[in-house]
Order: sequence, then C-alpha cells, then structure tokens
Amino acid sequence: MSEEQTLLDREGDAAADYLEGLLDIADLDGDIDIDVEGDRAMVSVLEVNPGDLKDLVGDDGEVLDALQELTRLAAARETGERSRLMLDIAGFRAAKRVALEEVAAAAVAEVQRTAAPLKLEPMNPFERKVVHDVVTAAGLVSESEGEEPNRRIVVRLP
Amino acid sequence: MLDEALRHLVRGIVDNPEDVRVQEKSGRRGTSLNVSVNPEDMGRVIGRNGRTATALRTVIAAINSGRGVRIDFLDTTER
Repeated sequence: MSEEQTLLDREGDAAADYLEGLLDIADLDGDIDIDVEGDRAMVSVLEVNPGDLKDLVGDDGEVLDALQELTRLAAARETGERSRLMLDIAGFRAAKRVALEEVAAAAVAEVQRTAAPLKLEPMNPFERKVVHDVVTAAGLVSESEGEEPNRRIVVRLP
Repeated sequence: MLDEALRHLVRGIVDNPEDVRVQEKSGRRGTSLNVSVNPEDMGRVIGRNGRTATALRTVIAAINSGRGVRIDFLDTTER
C-alpha cells in the first residue's frame, strides 16, 4: 500500500469517527461509507430511511458544505496534513453530479452547433470540476472566469 | 443535546480537546451556547474570515431543526 493510500485511509477513518459521533449525539441514523476517488478520500453518509438526513444536507447543500469543512479539519488534525476529502450526505452530491453532467453535455452540444463560446451560470468549485471534466473529455475547452461566488465556466471550441 | 453536539464538533478540530467547555443557556431569546477553548486553539475554531465559526453555527442550527442558535467563542483565560 502506497504512502498516499495510507494517508487517505487515515483521513477517511478520522472523518467517519467524527461524523459517527455527531450522528449518535443528534440521534440520527446513517451508514457511513469510506472510499477513495482519484486522489481524494470520499466519505458518504447514507440514509437508513429516506428523509432522515435532509437537515444535514440543508438548502442546496449549505449544511453539507459546512459539515464537510469541519470534517476536513477533524481529519487534518488526525493526520497532520491538509485534507481535501469530499463528504456526501444522502446522495446529494451524487445527484447533483448527474444533473451537472447533463448541463455540461448540453453546453458541449450547443457550442459544437454554434461554434460560439458559451458562458454558464456561476458554480462552486465542485460543480465547476464536474463540468470541466465533461467538457474536456468532449475535446472542447473549459475555462473559469470571474471571482467567487460568481466564478463561472466559459465553454469554447479549441 | 446541542451543547453536547457542539462540544464534540469543537473537540474534534482543536489541539487541546480537554480544554473545551460548552455552556448552554436558555433565555427569552432562545438558546445560546458559550464555547471556551485553549487560547492556542482560538484561531482554529474561528478560522479564516470566521469560516469555521460560521460552519459550526450552520451545523448546530441544522440539528436544532433549522432554528438559529447564538454561539459565543471565548478563550479559557476569559472563563
């Protein structure tokens, strides 16, 4: 097992302990799943009953983002290294990813048809990464412009 | 329960978890929580531009069924 792998495993374990403790205290049911996706630890909290964890996701994932932030800090304290782990709760990010991939595919088709650059809605870094991957895989160019939180992708022909 | 949740969340991110104290107070304006941490950990719990403090408030409000909770941060010398 590589050193990198061990670090991601330790991050995932620390994150799982932190989240499990919170679920216990708040009396919420959830199954925690740890995985490695590319070079990041991916920690998912799955609902036992649908709707159980909707408060921990929040409107448009704002609570999820806050909890991800705290979980990264907890993992970093254990490993001594900055953590970039991704947290998902109740499949929120997974569903969001599918929707974004559709947005990206539609943008690719549009740019191929018109040959004109297309500016997308502002997105957060996670969302831009998903779109960027789809656009690049289709052989087009995806560039970000503007400042957070209004940073957005422009898709154009190479 | 909120005080216990906040204690857990803060203890997990500081270097001196044994110094973390949380007091819950109920008043006319609802619940408020006072957190004290070792002075060395103050920067940790506040975070850059107050980012960590905001994250703690967001998560605590969420498990309080969306009702905001006042959270004040003190260092142990102010206790």
